[in-house]
Amino acid sequence: MKITDLQKKQGDFRMKIDSLTLESGKIHGIIGGNGCGKTTLCKLIMGILKPDQGFVDYEGLDPGKITMTAQRPYFIQGSVYENICYPLKVRRIRPDGQKIDKWLARCGLLEKKYQYARSLSSGEQQKVSMIRALIFDPEFVMIDETLSNLDPENLELFENVIFDIQKKRKITWLFISHRLAHIYKMCDVLHFMHEGTVLASGEKNRILFETEDERIRRFVANEVIKMEGSV
Amino acid sequence: MQVFKDILDTVFSDVGVFDAVCVTFQLAFGATFLSSVLGIILGLLLERVRFAGKRIVVRINRTLMGVPPVVIGLVVYMILMRRGPLGRLNMLFTVRGMILAQVLIITPIICGMTYTSLISRAPAIRTFAKTMGAGPVQTQWLVIRELKKELYFAVITGFGRSISEVGAVMLVGGNIKGHTRTMTTTISLLKSQGIFTEGLTLGVLLLIMAFIIQSLADFFQRGEKTDENY
Repeated sequence: MKITDLQKKQGDFRMKIDSLTLESGKIHGIIGGNGCGKTTLCKLIMGILKPDQGFVDYEGLDPGKITMTAQRPYFIQGSVYENICYPLKVRRIRPDGQKIDKWLARCGLLEKKYQYARSLSSGEQQKVSMIRALIFDPEFVMIDETLSNLDPENLELFENVIFDIQKKRKITWLFISHRLAHIYKMCDVLHFMHEGTVLASGEKNRILFETEDERIRRFVANEVIKMEGSV
Repeated sequence: MQVFKDILDTVFSDVGVFDAVCVTFQLAFGATFLSSVLGIILGLLLERVRFAGKRIVVRINRTLMGVPPVVIGLVVYMILMRRGPLGRLNMLFTVRGMILAQVLIITPIICGMTYTSLISRAPAIRTFAKTMGAGPVQTQWLVIRELKKELYFAVITGFGRSISEVGAVMLVGGNIKGHTRTMTTTISLLKSQGIFTEGLTLGVLLLIMAFIIQSLADFFQRGEKTDENY
């Protein structure tokens, strides 16, 4: 996927990305401070927002195979099962009961299959949201802080789920997360955003530890201090 | 039905209560149905379509939500009277004319309530639908489905307004016994004749009927579970 000369103005915020390539089959991460435009970029890729200028070249990728999960996911009125079936329903795919049960069992949600989705805890909702995003075998998945409410055990579970998927068929992932350890563990490529622009893109070690850019170094240092403080 | 008619004729004076009950419900269901279709479609369009002067249109709609029915009754009367622009349709002093007046009263209410629900909740639903790969029609259908409680409440409010309305139907319908007399105009007539007890009894009967209809509507809404988180 190639993003060229992308511009979007929303109130006082202005996004301007001259060029960004998201190599397929890789796990990408976007890092940057609050309000730097990470979610806006995902929304532009998803087509939720229309750019003022520039374009996203999907390079043959079917837009119907792109999905995105939010930090506070929306749930339609209905059970966990109905929510998981929704992306299948819009694609007129018959739900595979066994496949859904397998996903729910792996995430420890099988006994909550017919529970009202909005009555789940926020961590459980994030798990359902992940299952719902992955159930139709997408090719490009954007995860916008969706795993932020998961405890370390469940976070590891999803990290393993993602690695398992990558072993079977390489799809493209785009992670937004404030957990630098999680981002470092998961991603192959990192993109650092600052005030609506992508300052640097590249291999994760190069971006995090070998950069000359003071803003990136400061961001990483702050995140590391936060991590140490929370241990 | 005949038994019901006999009971009403025995309890009440010769004011045509049974016919009034029939006209009331014919009017309420007809006006609510037409207003719901119009109001919901207009509410959806108002939320979805961007155009110059939209804020003014929204403000006018909100003003019309509180317009006195008697003013609408007077306007419709002037439109439908023999020398009026629609006089040749012979709708004055008919139930159709009364329905027209009530549609003009109720539609802004349903439209306004629909619009208010949509502006607060539809963007999140649309974003979700887009991330799930839904097309435009599927997205719009999801918005309606997710807001069914709010839309149901708007329709029920419209029905309540219709069934309790007296000013417009009195002017446009003329309170003709057996033709355009409704329960509310009958109560008004009984009051003018000094028959207060029967008027009150009829009022209670109207409330009971509204309660039964409300209960039936709630029955079809059953099965909705809590969305509280814990």
